[in-house]
Amino acid sequence: MTNIDKRLQKEQNHIENMQAPADFEDRVRKALDSTNTRKRRLPHKGFAIAVSLVLFMFIGYHFNTFAFYGKQILGLDEVMSGTLKDLNEAGEGQSIEKSVNLGNNTKLTIHGLMADENRMIVYYSLFNPNGIEDEYHNLFNPQKLTGFLTNAMFSSSQGLLNEDGTELKGMMDFEPPSPFSKELTLHYYQYSEHNEMRKGEITFPYNPAKAMQTEIKQSIKQTVKVDKGKIKFDSLVASPTLTVVKGKVNVDNFDRVNLALHGIELVANGESIPIMGSGNTTSLFGGREFEVRFDALPEHVDTLSIVVKEFVGYEKINQSIPLDSTETTIGNHDLLIKNVSASQEQVEVRIATEEDVMLDDVSIESSEGKVALETTTNQVDSKQKDGRIMKERTLIFKTQTKPETIHIGGMHYMKQYNKSIEVPVD
Amino acid sequence: MNVLRLVKKAKRGNKEALLQLIMDQRDDYYRLAYTYMGNQHDAMDAIEEMIVRLYENIHQLQKDTSFYSWSKTILVNSCRTLLRKRNKVVLMDELDHALVKEQHNDGNPFLQREQQIDIYQILSTLNEQQAEAIKLKYLRDLDYQSIAEITNVSVGTVKSRIFQGMKKLQSQFGGFQND
Repeated sequence: MTNIDKRLQKEQNHIENMQAPADFEDRVRKALDSTNTRKRRLPHKGFAIAVSLVLFMFIGYHFNTFAFYGKQILGLDEVMSGTLKDLNEAGEGQSIEKSVNLGNNTKLTIHGLMADENRMIVYYSLFNPNGIEDEYHNLFNPQKLTGFLTNAMFSSSQGLLNEDGTELKGMMDFEPPSPFSKELTLHYYQYSEHNEMRKGEITFPYNPAKAMQTEIKQSIKQTVKVDKGKIKFDSLVASPTLTVVKGKVNVDNFDRVNLALHGIELVANGESIPIMGSGNTTSLFGGREFEVRFDALPEHVDTLSIVVKEFVGYEKINQSIPLDSTETTIGNHDLLIKNVSASQEQVEVRIATEEDVMLDDVSIESSEGKVALETTTNQVDSKQKDGRIMKERTLIFKTQTKPETIHIGGMHYMKQYNKSIEVPVD
Repeated sequence: MNVLRLVKKAKRGNKEALLQLIMDQRDDYYRLAYTYMGNQHDAMDAIEEMIVRLYENIHQLQKDTSFYSWSKTILVNSCRTLLRKRNKVVLMDELDHALVKEQHNDGNPFLQREQQIDIYQILSTLNEQQAEAIKLKYLRDLDYQSIAEITNVSVGTVKSRIFQGMKKLQSQFGGFQND
């Protein structure tokens, strides 16, 4: 090894054993602190000017609505519950506090609103020192919200009257407004004494930036087969206030059972989400479009599935039942024959079944042959001797001959399907 | 906290994150700076200059994973700048004077100090690039690739600088055996 190598080697060892001095951190920190906090440079001057212009216009234009940031809607605790109350406490609402006189000394106040992709909630109150109990229906019927690109129809409302009947606090549900609206007009109508309808409106600011972000938006595109057709689930949109499942139902006997859509469950993390409502409309392309509304999803969703627990089903019966019996069973469901009477015009058979059962292809048989069902009347829910509440109705047949048996071809009922669809959550 | 997250934070202007990154390898930075500057005072000056440059330029860093090699290149550049400034200002006898003073203050490690002066004096006979390459190779024990990255030249150039430099040193001082 040469002298040079040795010396280099020695110096290397020397440096290798060195450690940063004790004041290293202090000095570096001081040097760093002395630098001005860096400002991000924008790529182009022109771009910078454009951005600042846009921002300036945007902020200036929306200045009023920015003032509502972080405010809660106050004094409406009674009409808010669960999810909505939590959201309001988290400051997700927009405070408005704007009033208009409806005449007759009644004051309408819009307290605030809460919006997301699924709906728009408007909190309001009606106040009249002389009492409003019987009048509010005449004075205030909400119709729709309008604004730039917005035409949101009223869908429902609920309210609570205070004890002395002078104030009604409530919330109205509308379709969601367009994110381009920054002012909304509530259209309502009122009836005068002579039952004339008069229109009225109140305009208030709206800040679309405060509309809550949708949490999950998932296309589903899966089909569940049921007895008389299929249900196609298209999409799920979960916003902070509501979760909406949309799809198409192409089932022949869909409307044979009340609230068939309520047999659909939404299960998040193994727990069923409470159903809030459902609706359906005829589709342009055949079948029906439906939506089922559920409460908001929990904060963290690991698994999400739609379960068709029950839906309208159909069972072939092809059974003739003697009319002198009083209680019989068709396809696991009870059928009570309460009364059979014959007049000169028609034969009436009063029967009772469970709520969800609707008989199909019904006829009576006598020696003279078969007579098909003409119509059903007088349907009521009534309490039976054993305490069950059953659906009672009278079946009318156009014949004079007293029949011996009643023939039932089939029945529509809420059938257990328990079919599950996994909804992917990222 | 991992390096990439710190780099991302630092890129957004977080001073603490940048400081953390440097502190994690403070000995490395210090040794590299010392290799160039030859004393603690100047080494720390270089490091101070480096952190300011890092902070001002980190948003230009393309690959977050190469933060350390990038920051060391900046340190090397800071060292070079300081060396150039110092060479302009400091007179040789002033430097000697300072060194002598330092020796007296140190007392004991006289020998080591002398050897050290020696090797830096020896290296100063080479041109700047050769000296730099040799320092990085022999004093910092870096491989050719790393040296090439830090000094921003090709591996071939690094190898040739080291070879030429060492050849020159051997021919001038190689014959003299210390022990």
